[in-house]
Amino acid sequence: MSSNRSLEPSSLSLNDLPWQIQYNNDRCTLCGQCTAVCPVKAIELKVFRKRTIKTSIKKDAEHSNEYDTFYGIQQKTSVENACIGCAMCTLVCPNDAIRPVKNPGLDRMKFHINQKGVPRRRGGRRNASGSVLDRIKFTRISMLTDPALDAGRHEFEMRTLLGRVLSPRENMKRFREKGWIPPVREIYPMIIGGMSFGALSPTMWEGLQMGVAYLNEEMGMPVRICTGEGGCPPRLLRSRFLKYVILQIASGYFGWDEIIHAIPHMKEDPCAIEIKYGQGAKPGDGGLLMWHKVNKLIAAIRGVPQGVSLPSPPTHQTQYSIEESVAKMILSMSMAWGFRVPVYPKISASSTSLAVLNNLTRNDYASGLAIDGEDGGTGAAYSVSMDHMGHPIASCIRDNYLNLTKIGKQNEIPIFAGGGIGKNGNIAANAASLIMLGASGVQVGKYVMQAAAGCVGTEEDRCNVCNIGICPKGITSQDPRLYRRLDPEDVAQRIVDLFVSFDTELKKIVAPLGRSTSLPIGMSDALGIDDYAIAQRLNIKYVV
Amino acid sequence: METSDYIYISGKREDKRVPSRVLEEIIHQQIKSGHRKLEVEAYGQHGIGGRLWDAGTDEIHIRVIGHSGQRTGSLGNANTKIEIMGPASDDIGWLNAGAEIIIHGNTSNGAMNGAAQGKVYVGGSMGARGMTMTKRNPRFEPPELWVLGSAGDYFGEFMAGGIAVICGHGFDAEERVLGHRPLVGMVGGKVFVRGSVKGFSQKDAKIVPLADEDWDWFLPNLESFLEKIKKPELLTSLSARSAWQILSAKSSQEKAEGSERPSMAWFRDQVWDKELGRGGLIGDLQETEKGTIPLIAKADLRRYVPIWEQGKYISPCQAACPTGIPTQDRWAMVRADNIDEAISMGLEHTPFPATVCGYLCPSPCMASCTRNLSTMSPIDVKLLGRSGKDINPPKPAKSSKKKIAVIGAGPGGISAAWHLTLQGHSTTLFETGKAIGGKISSVIPGSRIPMETLETELNRVRNFIPDIKLEQEINTKKFIKIKNEYDFTIVAAGAKKPRTLPIPGIETAVYASDFLESAKQNKMKPGKKVVIIGAGNVGCDVATEAHRLGARDLTLIDVQKPAAFGREKEDAQDCGAIFKWPVFTQEITPDGVLLQDGVLIPADTVVISIGDVPDLDFLGDELNIENGFVAVDKFGCTSDQRVFALGDTVGPGLITDAIGAGKRTARAIDQIIKGKSPDLGELLPMIDKDRIKLEYYDPVKQAEDLTQCGEDCASCGDCRDCGICVAVCPEAAIERRDLPGSGFEYIVDPDKCIGCGFCKGACPCGIWDLVPNTPI
Repeated sequence: MSSNRSLEPSSLSLNDLPWQIQYNNDRCTLCGQCTAVCPVKAIELKVFRKRTIKTSIKKDAEHSNEYDTFYGIQQKTSVENACIGCAMCTLVCPNDAIRPVKNPGLDRMKFHINQKGVPRRRGGRRNASGSVLDRIKFTRISMLTDPALDAGRHEFEMRTLLGRVLSPRENMKRFREKGWIPPVREIYPMIIGGMSFGALSPTMWEGLQMGVAYLNEEMGMPVRICTGEGGCPPRLLRSRFLKYVILQIASGYFGWDEIIHAIPHMKEDPCAIEIKYGQGAKPGDGGLLMWHKVNKLIAAIRGVPQGVSLPSPPTHQTQYSIEESVAKMILSMSMAWGFRVPVYPKISASSTSLAVLNNLTRNDYASGLAIDGEDGGTGAAYSVSMDHMGHPIASCIRDNYLNLTKIGKQNEIPIFAGGGIGKNGNIAANAASLIMLGASGVQVGKYVMQAAAGCVGTEEDRCNVCNIGICPKGITSQDPRLYRRLDPEDVAQRIVDLFVSFDTELKKIVAPLGRSTSLPIGMSDALGIDDYAIAQRLNIKYVV
Repeated sequence: METSDYIYISGKREDKRVPSRVLEEIIHQQIKSGHRKLEVEAYGQHGIGGRLWDAGTDEIHIRVIGHSGQRTGSLGNANTKIEIMGPASDDIGWLNAGAEIIIHGNTSNGAMNGAAQGKVYVGGSMGARGMTMTKRNPRFEPPELWVLGSAGDYFGEFMAGGIAVICGHGFDAEERVLGHRPLVGMVGGKVFVRGSVKGFSQKDAKIVPLADEDWDWFLPNLESFLEKIKKPELLTSLSARSAWQILSAKSSQEKAEGSERPSMAWFRDQVWDKELGRGGLIGDLQETEKGTIPLIAKADLRRYVPIWEQGKYISPCQAACPTGIPTQDRWAMVRADNIDEAISMGLEHTPFPATVCGYLCPSPCMASCTRNLSTMSPIDVKLLGRSGKDINPPKPAKSSKKKIAVIGAGPGGISAAWHLTLQGHSTTLFETGKAIGGKISSVIPGSRIPMETLETELNRVRNFIPDIKLEQEINTKKFIKIKNEYDFTIVAAGAKKPRTLPIPGIETAVYASDFLESAKQNKMKPGKKVVIIGAGNVGCDVATEAHRLGARDLTLIDVQKPAAFGREKEDAQDCGAIFKWPVFTQEITPDGVLLQDGVLIPADTVVISIGDVPDLDFLGDELNIENGFVAVDKFGCTSDQRVFALGDTVGPGLITDAIGAGKRTARAIDQIIKGKSPDLGELLPMIDKDRIKLEYYDPVKQAEDLTQCGEDCASCGDCRDCGICVAVCPEAAIERRDLPGSGFEYIVDPDKCIGCGFCKGACPCGIWDLVPNTPI
């Protein structure tokens, strides 16, 4: 800032910024790579003035005062150019001369990020590292009390059911009477949750799909992936890979005309249809694809104009009550594929989730319920929604599962849990906790972004610019100059790696329970936690 | 069966089964008492034949008849030889440390589990988990397990050493002889197999070729095995080498490489793209290329590109100048050793470079100088202005034969006439007074400008504009006549009618313009005490002049914060003038000014200096008037398309505002004459001052002369041609190129540039910008 400039309320100093660039002029080779790679232009070359004073105390001595210049990298302090901490500069610096450091004090920028009256919006995560799931321990180590199993050598049926399972009596009755029996899929218990074509870059999306296809066809792992709401490329709809795909429909209905056109040409039915009513990251708010990301390709797939922001409203316009909304949507979607495809709603975790579940139990066409907790990630949301709204997944899943056990339908309608699974890296432990609390499986998104594509986001408000198309890793950008940094093959390979390693870890957890032929869904006697209140709330053991 | 030399031990006493512990004691007693061959009739006792170390190095032979129990021969000793005459139970040879065990039948699960030495020969098939967790101690021979038939499920789990031979006798070649998922976790040893090995853990084990040395070891041992199990006749059928294969453990390195799954590249090519079509998922929607691009990309793949924006912006000084003088261009000429042209260029914009730029103008250019941002002194434009005193005007363009009348020879009128004359139009100046120059010559105190400078410039005007008519009485009739006689008429009559106040005693006051005019002629005697109502710059001039003429108590009063600024205010303050505000005048009395609060400010002379308004009576009803001023558009055109107006006639302003208006109006008229629609010229935006790098300049140096001014001018938005960008570019992507004439340009080689923006960051003049590359 110029010395003679007047202050404005939002004049910030380096000290006020959330991320501060630590820069070592002595090591810098002035190669320009850091400024070239910075996604937000937070740094620039700067001319610095240097003053050298030479004096002497001798009388009549000649004093001198010289000015010189030198060059270095300087961080900008404007709100729009504030460093996001992604550390791409550090990644490219050949001399380790630069890196962003989180402001250890109070970041004052948060008070000024609402310029022009627009509250902060961001992609990413909740920025809260605490996790009840991380604290849950698996305290039941059977060894001699149950058949002891070895994760390394025993075979495990790591499968779960997606679909409505009728009670044995009802099933037999319909079987005898040649009645309709709801479709059920036997799938891998970790689903890649809905991330739309648009929210993700084409390379990322293709990489995920390719990895899933590989897992199915080369590894025999029936992993499924949800499209999110953004349509589905026509080629995928007409391929056999569609059977690995859960198509999502939400209030924006983006891309559904393409899906309808493709139905008569589908070689395979999709795995399932997910009706999105809510998202854990922004409960009560709708989807949003910001205009930065709506390029020609996205516009074509979604059937919208280029360069416009695309909101999916928080509510479906033609649906007015649980009864009507759920019944009507599930029936329509079931009909589209001749009642051969499971259809289930996805809601954000909420203190009202039970009402939805109760409704679904009365509807034979409802194939399950996906619940997304507050730690879910997103491509774009208002910070206030991400940070302050929503319901933790653990107690929500627990309440819903216990409710099912109360009415005796715990084996009939599967609940899938999402939101913050593996947010600190403990993906198998988190997934197993939720399964033992009552989930039939889990949906993961953020973990996949990080493990499969190197997303730099952390729970420290790092990067989080998924919404504006400048993802430095090319994961959430529609700019070929960014998304071509990402190779779909690499993503696919990482998907394989992560599922295979997850599988090993999950076995390590379930083997000591003596479970190998079915998942320990709701096996909460295996769980313990060192917090009495949480133990009481989740109805698991208090262990110290 | 020979039994003669064997001691018979029954597993029963008095029809009751002897417990395993008791049978163990009996066997040990027999051995201690010297017996070396025992025949045990077993009834399922545990661990028969194991742990027989009492005999030292003597060989012990145990023959088991009946039902051997679990773990027969467990923890077996090297000198023990056990022969089971029927089938065997679980864990035969468990933790075997050297015993040889022959089974004439099948054995159930866990054979040889954990064994590290010894040999087990199975004359039939075996159950699950045979040869699991076996070891090899280098001090001893490896353990061996020979099976005539097949192995059960989970064969060889965690096998770490030893040799297993599964003969597959009685099975078809296609039938699996190693059961389900064999060799999971195998880390050592080898397995000879005859028959299908389908389903073995490829993560852990591999099929290796059967070498000659393997076969050389194998064949005699096979023969010996068949003899032990008493089936030598099978040798021929089992010794076809081609039917045998060897499974051995993978090394850690091989395991780390992973199993031989197809590569993702293969999968993409052969499965993915084959099903979806060329280009994969979206190959039908857009061109796709395989592979990635580097983080630091060049050419089209750069996210940002530099642009050299020479000539795209005007400098802050030019933008601030109402006359629009491109000062930075003039300093550039100074730097290029072209001082004369830099000075004479002034006359292309103003007829009064010395008088106005050099003395009278408050210099908005300097106020807006970028250097102020770093508390550095602005470049002194007045030096440049004053240098223009004696220069000659440029040559006018060819005569257009168009006649234009300008009413009023003040700065605005002269400016318009000057530019019109330059453009080749025949211009006549009509002036009511005796001299040209308007307020410059009549009311501005001599202290503010040397008379010689003013006269020199006025003479230049007189010489340049030949047709100047002085002492012209302009009334409505005359105005209409002029208007009809000339192609265009410009009204630049100034504002000569003083504003007044509706207060008692106003008639005793003097108006500022009258005061200044007569003061300039030294005809005014203000007395000692002067009160000036209206504390603007004109009021300050009054104070200064009054002081020159002997006044000492000088008070300027105003109803609001005084508008005075700059040199005028400083001069008045130097004369001891006091500013009072807010004060409200009640009346003017013979003693002075009586305020509404009852205070009397004594005065010998009271001067009213609250502005002048134009006297527009002479226009009659010819032109639209708004709020006492002639209404004009941005070109100065009035409601009459052939009549223009400017200067104080259209609104109050600085001298430079009037000169600028004259320049713009002349341009508009010139364009209309040439049949074009008038415009204001190329209106470039002002450069963002933040783009200028002042760090290159000495922050405290005050430029003393034109040369130094030229050096220290930051040349905002105007390339200094310093070449710093070329030096700073880390990729050597920038090149300077001469253009025809004296021009030059800097260009970027896109194939070298990485879009780092260093050129922008280093450019002293803010010429380089970095903009997002065109979307792909």
